[in-house]
Amino acid sequence: MEKRGWDDFDPGVILFSFEKDKKVTDIATTEPENRPYSQSNSFSSDQASGWRVEKPIFKQDLCIDCQFCWIYCPDMSIISRDKKMVGVDYDHCKGCGICVEVCPTNPKSLLMFVEAKEEAEALAEWPEKKKEEK
Amino acid sequence: MTEKMELKSVEVWDGNLAAAHSLRQAQVDVVSAYPITPSTPIVENYAKFLANGYVEGEYMMVESEHAAMSGCIGASAAGGRVATATSSQGFALMVETLYQASGMRLPIVLHVVNRAMAAPLNVNGDHSDMYLGRDSGWIQLDSFRQQEAYDLGLMAFKIGEDHGVRLPVMVHQDGFISSHTAQNIFPLSDEVAYSFLGDHQPFNAMLDFEKPATYGAQTEENWHFEHKAQQHHDLMTKVFSKVEEVFAEYEKISGRKYRIVEDFMMEDAEVAIIAMGTTVNSARLAAKIIREKEGIKAGVVGIRLLRPFPFEQIKEVLKDVKAIGTLDRSSPNGTVGMLHNEISGVVIENEKVPAMKNYIYGLGGRDITIQMLQDIFKELDVSAKAGKRVGPIQKFINVRGPELSFLGK
Amino acid sequence: MAEQKKIKNLKEFSKSVDRFEGSNLLCPGCAHSIIVREVLNATNDDLVLSAATGCLEVSTAVYPYTSWDASWIHIGFENATTAVAGAEAMYKALKRKGRLLQPDRPPKFVAFAGDGATYDIGFQWLSGTFERGHDVMHVTLDNEVYANTGGQSSSSTPIGSSTTTAPAGRVSYGEKRVKKDMMSIMAAHGAPYVAQVAPNKWKDMIKKIQHGFAVEGPVYINAMSACTTEWRFDVADTIAVSDLATDSLVFPLYEIIDGETWNITYRPKNVIPVRDYLAAQGRFKHLFKPENEYLIDEWQQRIDKEWVRLQRMEENSPR
Repeated sequence: MEKRGWDDFDPGVILFSFEKDKKVTDIATTEPENRPYSQSNSFSSDQASGWRVEKPIFKQDLCIDCQFCWIYCPDMSIISRDKKMVGVDYDHCKGCGICVEVCPTNPKSLLMFVEAKEEAEALAEWPEKKKEEK
Repeated sequence: MTEKMELKSVEVWDGNLAAAHSLRQAQVDVVSAYPITPSTPIVENYAKFLANGYVEGEYMMVESEHAAMSGCIGASAAGGRVATATSSQGFALMVETLYQASGMRLPIVLHVVNRAMAAPLNVNGDHSDMYLGRDSGWIQLDSFRQQEAYDLGLMAFKIGEDHGVRLPVMVHQDGFISSHTAQNIFPLSDEVAYSFLGDHQPFNAMLDFEKPATYGAQTEENWHFEHKAQQHHDLMTKVFSKVEEVFAEYEKISGRKYRIVEDFMMEDAEVAIIAMGTTVNSARLAAKIIREKEGIKAGVVGIRLLRPFPFEQIKEVLKDVKAIGTLDRSSPNGTVGMLHNEISGVVIENEKVPAMKNYIYGLGGRDITIQMLQDIFKELDVSAKAGKRVGPIQKFINVRGPELSFLGK
Repeated sequence: MAEQKKIKNLKEFSKSVDRFEGSNLLCPGCAHSIIVREVLNATNDDLVLSAATGCLEVSTAVYPYTSWDASWIHIGFENATTAVAGAEAMYKALKRKGRLLQPDRPPKFVAFAGDGATYDIGFQWLSGTFERGHDVMHVTLDNEVYANTGGQSSSSTPIGSSTTTAPAGRVSYGEKRVKKDMMSIMAAHGAPYVAQVAPNKWKDMIKKIQHGFAVEGPVYINAMSACTTEWRFDVADTIAVSDLATDSLVFPLYEIIDGETWNITYRPKNVIPVRDYLAAQGRFKHLFKPENEYLIDEWQQRIDKEWVRLQRMEENSPR
C-alpha cells in the first residue's frame, strides 16, 4: 500500500469500503466476519490499537449480557452476537475504559489491566464482590 | 415524460438562452444554482423549461453560489448529469468548491458568463473570473460567440463525463456582448442533441448501494502529492485527444468545425494577436482589413481550450511568426498578463523567438474597436520589421489619461 | 418505504451490525462515535452520508482508510448539509426518470457536522437546505467547541467555559456569551422534526432518530457530544459526564414537532445540581474560585429558568 504511486489510484481520491469486485446487498445485517472488507476499510487496520496503555479484559461468567458495554463502546470493539457479549476486539479497541465504567455487575465483568497483562493472570486475580454501601 | 421542443433551423437567441437550451437538450438531472448578472437568464430559462415540462430534473434554487456548487458536487457524486451557471463575484464565492469538484473528479458543467471582479463593482464583461479559475483543475472551454456557447455547452458534457476523463468543465462566454445580444443560432433537434450525449453513465456513484464509496478523503503529506500529480497527469494527457474526438463527432452532426486552437490567417502571418472571447472575432476582422489596407501579414490565434493549455498546438501555429501581441482582458495587478506569460513560455521553445507585447484591454466592459486592433497590428508590424520588440512590453488600451505602459522601454 | 427496524430493548438492539468501523482516529472515549453508531444503527436502510470538516471527518476518512460502510462525502467545513441535499436531489431526479441503479432500496440521507459547522460557518447552508425542504437529516455533534482545531470558542460554547480564544485568566472567567439556541432556530424553519438527544439516553435517541427517518422533509438533531479532550475529563467518563449533563438539565432532552408541538422526553427522577456537572470538567475549573462562584449560581438560575420555559412551551403546544 505505502509504495503505491500516482498512477495506481482510482481517480478522485475515492475509497471503497469493500472489495471492488464484490457487490454488497444487505450490509446492515451482515456480520463483520462475512463482509468483504477492502484493504481501504479501517476495519482492516489495527492502527489505533497501539494507543492503548490499558486494555479491558472480559470475565464471561459474571456477565449478564445487559449490552451497556456494546452500546457505549466508541470503537465498535465489543463483540456481541445474538444478544450475548462474546468478547473484546483488540484490533480496534483504543482502551478508553468506558465499557468498564458502564458495566453494572458486582464485581464488574470487564476490568482494565495494563496492556501487557496475560488474560489468564488477570482472570485469576479478579476482585471479589464488593459489599453494598449503606 | 418530457415535452420535446420544436425548434426552427435558425433561432434568434442570445448567449444565455443558447446555453440554457444546451442544458435542456442535455436533460440535466440536477441544476443547483444561484442568480448573478449576467449569467442569471441561463438558470431562469432552465426554470421556465422545467415549469413547462421540457425538462424533468431537479432544480435546487440555493442561497449562494458556494451552495450552488456544493449542491452540484453532492448531486454529481450521487451519480448523474449536473450543471449550473455563474459569473464574477459568484464565481469567486464558488472558488473553494471548484477545487473540491475537480479533486473529486466530478464532471459538472459550469457556464461562466465572464464579468469583472469588484472593487470597484462592475457588472460588465471581462475575463477576471475566467482567470481566477485557471488553476482550479477544471477543463475550460471558451466561446467567442453565442452559437459556440450552445455548441460547447453540449460538448462539455461529453468531454467531462467520459470515464477516461472525469473532470468538470467550464464553458465561458463574454458577459453582455455574448450573453445578452441575440444572433442567429443553428440548434440541433432535441433528438439529435440528446443522442449525441446519451444518458449519463454512472461512475462510482454514491447511489450505487452495492459499492459504497467514500468521497473527499483527507490526504496529508504522505498521499496528497500523488493525487494532485494524477489529476495533473490526466489533464495533460487525456483531455486533448478526447476534446478533438468530441469536436470531430460534433462536426458530423452539426457541420460546425471546432479546434483546440482556432488560428485564423496564420499560414503566412508575420504578426499575430492572441485573444479570447468575443475579441477573437473583432481581431479577425481587423486582421482582414489591415491585410487589405496595409499589406501587413496579420493573423489571429483564438484560445478555445484554456485548460489544459494547448502548449504544443500553439507552438506549432506560432513557429514562423515574428511579433505577437497577447491580449489580456483582466488586470494582471502587478505583472504581465496571463496570456503573455503562457505564450512566452511556448514560443521560447521555437527556433525563432518572436517579439512579445502584452495589451491589457476591455476591463469592466470597456470597448475595444476594430481600429484599436488594427493599431495593435501596426505596432506589432514595427517590431516584426525591426526583428525585435520596439516599445514597452505592456500597454493599456483605451484607458483615459496619459499612455499607460510598463516594462521594457 | 422499507419497514422501520424494530428495537424494543438493548439486547435486541445489540444485534445491529455497525456500518461505522473501528481503527478510526477519533480520541479514545469520543462521544461522536457513540452518537454515529446510534444514528446509523437506528435503521437497516441504505445510507448516503456526509460530514463537515471537523473531528469526525478528519478521523474517519484519512487516506488510505475509510471507516464508513456506506456512501459518504466530505466537501468542506460549511456545506455538509448541502452536499447530502444535492445527493437527495439526484435521487429524486433519477427516481422520476426511472434510472436508479437499485430502485427498490430507498436510502436515508444524513449529514453530520460539529457545532462549529452548524451554529457558525455552516449555518447558511443548513438554513438553505431546510428552507428548500430536502428529505435529509442533519445531526449536530455538539461538543460546544472547535475541538478539531484545538479548542476555540464557537457560538455553541457555554458561558464560563475556558477555551483557547476565550481563556480564563486573572481578569477573565472565559467565554462571555451563552450558548446559541439552535433548537428554536431550526424549529422556526418549520422543520417537521427537531430534537435534542444525548448518547447516554440511547433509547430516547433511537426513538427520535427513527421518528426523524420516518417523516418527510428536513430533520434537525442536536446531539450532545461530551468531549474528553476539550471538556477535560477522564476518557472513561464520557457516559458519566453525559449523565450529569442530562440529569442536571443542562442538556434537556426534548423534541419539537412541526415547529409547534414541544415534548420534553426525559424528566430526571432526581435532578442534580448544575454545580456537579460543572465540577466534573476542567473547562469550568476556574468557576470554583471564590471570585467566580457567583457564576455557578447564575448557571443554576439560567438552567432552572430554561426548564420552566420548556415546560411552558410543552403545556402551550397544540395537541
